Amino acid sequence: MTKRLAETILLLGFIGIGTTLGLAFLKAPSVSINAFESPEAQRIFYWHVPAAWAAFIAFGFLFVGSALWFFKRSDLGWRMHVAGAEAGLATGLMTVWSGMVWGSAEWGVPWDWTDVRLNTFGLLTFLAMFLVLGRQSQPDGVETRDTFSTFGLFGFVLVPVTYVATRLWQIRHPGPVIGGGDSGSLNGEMALILLLGAISFTLFIVGHMLMSMRITSLEQRLESIQEAMDKV
Amino acid sequence: MSEALLSFNGVSIRRGSSLVFKDLNFELMRGQIVLLNDKNGAGKSTMLEAAAGLLPLEKGEIFHHGELILDASGRSKRSSTAFGLTLQSDGCVGSQRLEEHILNALDLAGGRIDINPWLERYNLTHRRHDLIAHLSGGQRRKVAMLAGILPGFVGDKPRILLLDEPAAGLDESSRSLLVEDLLELKQRGNALLLASHHTDFSNCATHVFNGLELVPNDAKAEMSGTQRDIKATTHRTNPSFRTGVLLNQRTLSTLASNGIAGFLTLGILLALVDASAIDSSIIQASGLFLSAAFAAGLVGDNMVPMLHEHRALEWWKAHRQGIPHSYIHALVLGSALTALTQLGFDEQVSWPLVAIGGLLTTTTMAIVRTIDLATSRLARPRAAFTRILTPVLILPFALLVQWVTDSNLL
Repeated sequence: MTKRLAETILLLGFIGIGTTLGLAFLKAPSVSINAFESPEAQRIFYWHVPAAWAAFIAFGFLFVGSALWFFKRSDLGWRMHVAGAEAGLATGLMTVWSGMVWGSAEWGVPWDWTDVRLNTFGLLTFLAMFLVLGRQSQPDGVETRDTFSTFGLFGFVLVPVTYVATRLWQIRHPGPVIGGGDSGSLNGEMALILLLGAISFTLFIVGHMLMSMRITSLEQRLESIQEAMDKV
Repeated sequence: MSEALLSFNGVSIRRGSSLVFKDLNFELMRGQIVLLNDKNGAGKSTMLEAAAGLLPLEKGEIFHHGELILDASGRSKRSSTAFGLTLQSDGCVGSQRLEEHILNALDLAGGRIDINPWLERYNLTHRRHDLIAHLSGGQRRKVAMLAGILPGFVGDKPRILLLDEPAAGLDESSRSLLVEDLLELKQRGNALLLASHHTDFSNCATHVFNGLELVPNDAKAEMSGTQRDIKATTHRTNPSFRTGVLLNQRTLSTLASNGIAGFLTLGILLALVDASAIDSSIIQASGLFLSAAFAAGLVGDNMVPMLHEHRALEWWKAHRQGIPHSYIHALVLGSALTALTQLGFDEQVSWPLVAIGGLLTTTTMAIVRTIDLATSRLARPRAAFTRILTPVLILPFALLVQWVTDSNLL
């Protein structure tokens, strides 16, 4: 069971995400036509917000892993860094892509280069892409781990900036839907579907990261076996 | 009374996934030549590069002349007495002239001496104005070796000289001359750490370090003749800045890479954007006028890839006196592109905007260069996809354009 833990959590996450999508399109109440230019497109928010939530978890994992490697030389920290970067890339792309679809429908443009949240979140995703592609291009070693961990630590500065961006510099991106005061309140049914989405994406991200950490661990074991064989 | 010029204090160094040195304690005294001649992969280059402050330490500290220059927490400091360095790769750029590299090494050491006797001695006089790229492998090695040993002849203060395979590719007579030079450097009180498998050096080394302990060596070679009286003259300051300007003028690299990106952007804008749109406020004119300068900066500093040749970047980094850059050229290029864009759209040239364009190219280039340098320690720095991070610059660019528009600079 422990061996299949990651796969089980991942599967539960997928089922939950599928269910959230189904409920979002078929069950969730419509929003007021006065509040949005394109009210039906707003349903994408049941995908977009949980994906962004999961991305923040992944980036947090990436930061903790980077710090553990950088300051403690922990192999577990490096595995967390790798897993956080991969999961951050996956969920970051999901968030950016869904946001662009909604932006096209609601604003008439998919992207606004002057909006702080859009850009800082996009940059976090680019950072995750850099960490994933960059790591794959390098042999594993202390130089590789040090360099990418530094970028992981540096990139995390963007997480609080992104989080507070809609509170401090709200230009185009909508304000926070949870904890954002009266204007951001949700009705019960909406909140429930959103909660299911958040739980499902969390399960997905946890399963994904556990699996990724296991793969990195196996890669490290394979490399040490190869090194031992080189010496024979 | 001998003094330790170089000290390793409980140093552990990891390279790749293996720990090359663990709790290494080592002292290199004034007037010593310590030979590292262990088998391949034993860590000779690692020890030399760590002594030059090029490798991060897992544990311990490294001292030059009693001053801490590097510790495990990453603190590093430039030694007050510059050292000589010959890396296993030559550490020089192909687009530099032979004498320029040697004079740079002397300027970094803080004093110039007449290099003619050495050029003559090693049969390089006829090549002194040649580009390093035009030299044979052996000649290039002589240049790298001279850049490592000549600082030891500057002034009276003894120096640390770190020489990694200085005789690789040198013929027998050149190796004999080098042994003579090393003996004189020892006589002058310099401390030499030398990695080589050539038996010539076993005859002049005072000690051999086998990775664990320093073993006294029965050196047979003696210095023939008397110590030369070498007068040091004033050195020229800022060798890294001078090298950046020289390399740029010689290769036109900023124009050829950043310039092309800027001119292409300008061409595309001229082809696609109707000039009447500028006056109608459909688009932000300042953004249009600054786009070419921004695109030119996004290419980064071409000096960084140029310095990857023969690990010249590490050679410059080790001396901690700056790394050649292209900022002056970026400033001129950015200003010119901004002025040209305005002229291209039949607008009057706004000089404040021209200045902003120049600064924009320079700043953008500096940020991309910093990202490039941050990944230079990787085994394959050019394969690291650093350009994925350049979108970080778009938001500041958009905010700058907004500020210029709001300030009515046009």
